[in-house]
Order: sequence, then structure tokens, then C-alpha cells
Amino acid sequence: MAIIEFILALIQDMVLAAIPALGFAMVFNVPARALPYCALLGAIGHGSRMILLKLGLSIETGTFLSAILVGVIGIQWSRWYLAHPKIFTVAAVIPMFPGIYAYTSMISIVKLSQSGYSEPLFIEAVMNFLKASYIVGALSIGLSLPALWLYRKRPRV
Amino acid sequence: MQTETSHHHEITRLCIQCAIFLLQHGAESALVEELATRLGKALGMDSIEISISANSIVLSAIKNNHCITTTRKNNDHGINMHMVTEVQHIVIMAEHKLLDHKDVLKRFSHLKPLRYPRWLMVLIVGLSCASFCKLNAGGWDGALVTFIASAVAMYVRLLLTQRRLHPQITFAITAFIATSVSGLLIGKGIFTNTSTIAIASSVLLLVPGFPLINAVADMFKGHVNTGLARWTMASLLTLATCIGIVTALSLWGLNGWQ
Repeated sequence: MAIIEFILALIQDMVLAAIPALGFAMVFNVPARALPYCALLGAIGHGSRMILLKLGLSIETGTFLSAILVGVIGIQWSRWYLAHPKIFTVAAVIPMFPGIYAYTSMISIVKLSQSGYSEPLFIEAVMNFLKASYIVGALSIGLSLPALWLYRKRPRV
Repeated sequence: MQTETSHHHEITRLCIQCAIFLLQHGAESALVEELATRLGKALGMDSIEISISANSIVLSAIKNNHCITTTRKNNDHGINMHMVTEVQHIVIMAEHKLLDHKDVLKRFSHLKPLRYPRWLMVLIVGLSCASFCKLNAGGWDGALVTFIASAVAMYVRLLLTQRRLHPQITFAITAFIATSVSGLLIGKGIFTNTSTIAIASSVLLLVPGFPLINAVADMFKGHVNTGLARWTMASLLTLATCIGIVTALSLWGLNGWQ
């Protein structure tokens, strides 16, 4: 029973992740022909991260592995589309982006200067900043790694 | 001799045009360097040397020990993957000898950035932020609040971007509006029991995701200069967003999110 519940939650998660991947692909003006693939890749990325988190990995490691998966698939697709893989992959990892961590950290910093130093605010600022930075790093390096390590010599496209 | 020099000049111009197109529309530095070099070699140069900084490009095209150097200023045109794809297709066609330098010039002058219609962007960005809210356990009512707030904010953002307002000011105003709409709907309006995560989600349309990912990718691939510039720019945009959020929260006496 728990398995079915988990699968239903996973499907909901993937559908919900596909919408922002599509939306941000349009904000980045990805050509219309590539849009469905951005949405699909976004769903795969976020869904795989959900499975990894369920298996007990930390959010940074899970994000890193999912980003590598997205990067590998993106390279395969970029072959037939004859375009740089970033066209698919960046929009696809946007659902995993640590936006709320980044805002919470920055807002704590603004509040620190408004209301003076207090330890809880400072802890919030530092912890959220570290979390956001590590996740951004994991996403970006995860996306770049497959290209660097599978296709070192020849150009990808 | 005369024609050869003018040919060399033309190809140098094409290469830097290619590089500047890519940099203006948000490609990472490694790609800018790779494509400009490939275009130059496809059109008969011996090598292309390129130096990229945050707001200019210097490029030298070398042939038979003759070297021509040129510089272009870079002004940001916003992220546009359609342009990056088109430029890449032109370079690939030139590599396969399907285009000579005149065709490349003609194609470059006909390139026009793709823009999706405004109403569609407003709708899809509203839905995106609503999905973020639901993904962060904000509930369906929170998703509705987020949809309204971020759709209004996106409309304002597109209007301001069209007027070419300074990016940080655009971000601050947009964040102020998104926070005001979602905060007032939750704090003073009909959705009193809604999770405050909706306020945070409604400003997620302003997260500079692409610049941050490009920044780390640049630094990782050795372009520390441009990487740091992108990271700083993205941080400034986030700071501007947060000033907009904090102003709205304190003006309306709201608590923010937990």
C-alpha cells in the first residue's frame, strides 16, 4: 500500500515539476520544438531527486546525482537537435533550484542590518546561504560533468 | 593582397559577431569561445584567440602569421536560447561547407530573437510559481494565491523590461508587487488560513537561475573572471528582490514566511 501511495506522490511531484520547467524554458525563450523535452526532463530530474531523498540521501547529494542524470540525458538529446545541451538542461533543473533558501538567507541579512545583530538571524542567514550555494554548485557542476568527462576531446554537437 | 586582407577583416567581424550574439543572449563563456573558434576555422582562419570579460569581447583572427584584432562592447539582451540555437546551427552549417562567409553574414543580419506572446508568459509563469508552492507543501489554496500574485508580478515585470528600466529596479518593483499581492491576500484578505510559503513562492519568478548556473559552470571550466561577474550580478539581483520583499512586508505589517 505504501508503495502505491509513494508512486502516486511521485507522479504528482513529476507533473508539478514539469510545469515550472516548461514555464522557465519559455522565460529563457527556448525554441518551441524543444519545449516538451524541457518539461519531460524537468519531471525526470525532480522525480529522480525525490526517489534519492526517499532513499535517505542529503538534499545536496541527491541534487548532484539528479543533475548528472539530467546532464547525461541532455547530451543525448542535444545530438539530434544539434544544439548545446544547456538548452534543455538549465530549464529542467530550475524546479530543483534553491530559491526559497536564497531568499530566506538574503532577507535575514537585510533584517540583520535593520534590527541589529542577533544570533538566530545570523544562523538563519549563514545556514540558508550555505545550503543555497551548495545546491547551486551541485546543479551546475552536475550538469557540466557528463560533458567534461564523456566528451573530453570532441565537441558535443 | 588587398582582397585577401579585406577577406580576413570580414571573417574577423563575423567571428566577433557570433561571439557577441552568444554572450548577449546568455550563453556560457566556454560555448562563446568554442563557437567563435569553430566558425573562424570553418571560414579558413588558422586560429582564433578570444578574451571574454563581463561587458566586452576582444578577438584576434590569425592567418598566415597575419593577425587582426577587434573589440566589441557587450550589452545584455536577456536570456534567449533561441538565438543561441540559431547561431549554433549557422556555425555547424559553415563547418560542413554549406555556407560561405557571405551566407553567414546574410544569416546573421536576418537573425531575430524569438519572443513568446506576453499573455502566454504571464499565464505559464503564474502556473509555474503555483507549482513551486504546491511542491513546497503550500497546499492548493496557497497555489491559487501564488498564481494570482506571480501572474500580476510577471505582467509588471514584462512591462518594465519592455521600457528598458534598470534590471535591479525592475526586480525590486516586481518583488514588491508580488509580495504585496500575496501577503495582502493571506494577511488581510480571504485566505487567512493559507500557508505563508505562498508569499515566498510568488517571488520565485525572480530567481536568477540561469546566471547562477552559468556562473558556476564558467568558474568550473576556468573562466573565473566572467563567472565571478555573473555571480555578483545574480547576487545583486537577489538583493534587489529581497529589498522589494522586505519593503512590502514592513509596509503592510506582515510577518514573512517560516
